[in-house]
Amino acid sequence: MKRGQNKFKRRLKEYSEAYLYLLPALGVVALFWLFPVILSIIVSFTNWKGLDTWSTVKWVGFANYANVLMDEEFHQSLLNTFHYAMYSAPLTFIVSLIAAILLNTRIRGRSFFRTVYFLPFITTWVAISILWKYFYHRDFGLANYFLKSLGLKPLQWLSEPKGIFTLLFAPLGIDIKRPLLAGPSLAMFSIILTSIWRSVGYYMIIFLAGLQNIDKSYYEAAEIDGANPWQRFLHITFPLLSPITFFILIVSLINSFKVFVPMLIMTPSGGPDNTTITIVFHLYEKGFQGLWLMGRASAVAYILFLIILGITLIQNLFLGRRVHYES
Amino acid sequence: MKRQKQNNITIHHERKFLDLVFVSNIFVFILFLIGFRLGTRMNGEFSLFTPARWILLYIAVLGILVALSIFWRTGGAWVNQTLVYQILLAGCIFMILPFFWMIITSFKTYKEAMAFPPLWWPEKFQWKNWVEAWNAPKANTYGDPPVPLTFTRYFFVSVLVGLATTGGILFTSALAAYAFAKMKFPGKGLFFYIILAMMMVPGQALLIPNYLTLAKFHWLDRYHALVIPWLANVFTIFLMRQFFMTIPNDLWDAAQIDGAGRFRFLWQVMIPLSKPVLITAGIFDFLGSWNSLFWPLIVVTRPEMRTLMVGLQAFNQDAGSDYHLLMAASTFAVLPIVFIFFFLQRFFIQGIARTGLKS
Repeated sequence: MKRGQNKFKRRLKEYSEAYLYLLPALGVVALFWLFPVILSIIVSFTNWKGLDTWSTVKWVGFANYANVLMDEEFHQSLLNTFHYAMYSAPLTFIVSLIAAILLNTRIRGRSFFRTVYFLPFITTWVAISILWKYFYHRDFGLANYFLKSLGLKPLQWLSEPKGIFTLLFAPLGIDIKRPLLAGPSLAMFSIILTSIWRSVGYYMIIFLAGLQNIDKSYYEAAEIDGANPWQRFLHITFPLLSPITFFILIVSLINSFKVFVPMLIMTPSGGPDNTTITIVFHLYEKGFQGLWLMGRASAVAYILFLIILGITLIQNLFLGRRVHYES
Repeated sequence: MKRQKQNNITIHHERKFLDLVFVSNIFVFILFLIGFRLGTRMNGEFSLFTPARWILLYIAVLGILVALSIFWRTGGAWVNQTLVYQILLAGCIFMILPFFWMIITSFKTYKEAMAFPPLWWPEKFQWKNWVEAWNAPKANTYGDPPVPLTFTRYFFVSVLVGLATTGGILFTSALAAYAFAKMKFPGKGLFFYIILAMMMVPGQALLIPNYLTLAKFHWLDRYHALVIPWLANVFTIFLMRQFFMTIPNDLWDAAQIDGAGRFRFLWQVMIPLSKPVLITAGIFDFLGSWNSLFWPLIVVTRPEMRTLMVGLQAFNQDAGSDYHLLMAASTFAVLPIVFIFFFLQRFFIQGIARTGLKS
């Protein structure tokens, strides 16, 4: 009897100690992550402005959501963000996979290349955006200098509202007007190029780690069977790399839905014809500038949250089945 | 015996083609130099000798190599490997060129920075640009801030916030990770899921409620606002939990016999054992804090509380087209991180590779 009580006491002590250890982290999580998730729903149903207090705030029901969904600028920001995600995620993915495969061959100076490719990723978006804004400058930027010296017409880069496919097909006499077909505006595409330049090294290192995990004997067996490099890639490398591919797809897609800083710095007014306004940029404009419409911005934030949740769930459902796991 | 012979052949083969790569790149490099020299000398006139045309030539050479490697399947090993090197080197140039451009521009005069065609080398290195950029915030602020406002202040705030955040995260995460890895308690799974779910919530969606909370606490424009909301980090908790789980339980049994409590065991045994993980996580936490812009931009309105990134952004708005000064400021904002990277590169790479493999 006494022994049982002791055991109980000991357990209680261990439990309380464990909770004590969790307290700091969980306290911050509760106060700055869980509580705001709930508060943000409530705020999104009110006409909260700036630093109003509860007493002056009115419940407005779904009015914020209705306003957001009717807002042309929000539609534009959705389209822009969609363009950004659709182009930057796969392009980064392809370029970094190629870089990783090239680095994984028997070459010297691998760590040198790795360092150089990784360098842009550790530098901050703020500095990089300023740098590339200068790079893309209409009159004295390097980008136009290269075009000019190749005998091509200089481009407007960050102030060109036309879609890249519209620009590409214009010389052929084809005029693409549908926004989805026209692709991101050249201004947005310039930012996409910058983001590819910045994040290639990061994804390359993840791919490289995955490639080095693949057992060499698969390749030896395939070589004996007479598989060419392309077949080896398609039937060994790619399937065995798919858990990492899956991870990278999710991460880069989610990251591209949260993009904001390069737009703020390279095109502070939202770009030509608002073609570089992203969802987060829109949120910032509505919530923290001008009228400080907190309620409205919270509605935008919640829609963004649902979109990101949706992506994760869809990817889990559809891609999850195709992923090959090494036992 | 046979295998050794084969190895010898490969090494020999490799050397031969490395020489080839070396020579071909020196050749390309000389072409570049000639191109740049001639290109910059002919102001305004776009002649054959512009760097861009040489780059085109280089791409054409790469194209020929690609064609060769496709048609010449067997015995084309050296073509393939030369190609690999050339593509990687071209990539390197693409990665480095903007940085080179940033640093060179920071030493130019205003006129040189606006020159077209661009100058690849300034007439005279303008070191005073750096001083001017460093002191620029003073000229750009109105009113009377309590501390002299230069980039020194921005650096101070950023370093302080970065260190406090990193230290705080490591402390909270070590405790939480230890509880998750080594202790039994009811609700363990639930708490773990809560933290896991936190990862799914984008920080941007929580900006507004967090802003309101901080305003209620009167924490806006204070260090609290920059540090405390970021003191729990899922990535760090995961990384440390993963590592703690690999430490055998025998150590805890031994420590118990010696009369040590859990807390003492954690700080005197577990933490020293997991130094590499602590450094890796610490680097990423510091980097995250150092590079963040959105949150500090919102919670800070007083100029003397700006972090380096907010200061740089403000300078970007004030400087207009003074690109030589902007490039100087960007360079010194980037430099500390680049230094840290060169010294602790191993930990960066390990950290990233680990997140990719474990998820």
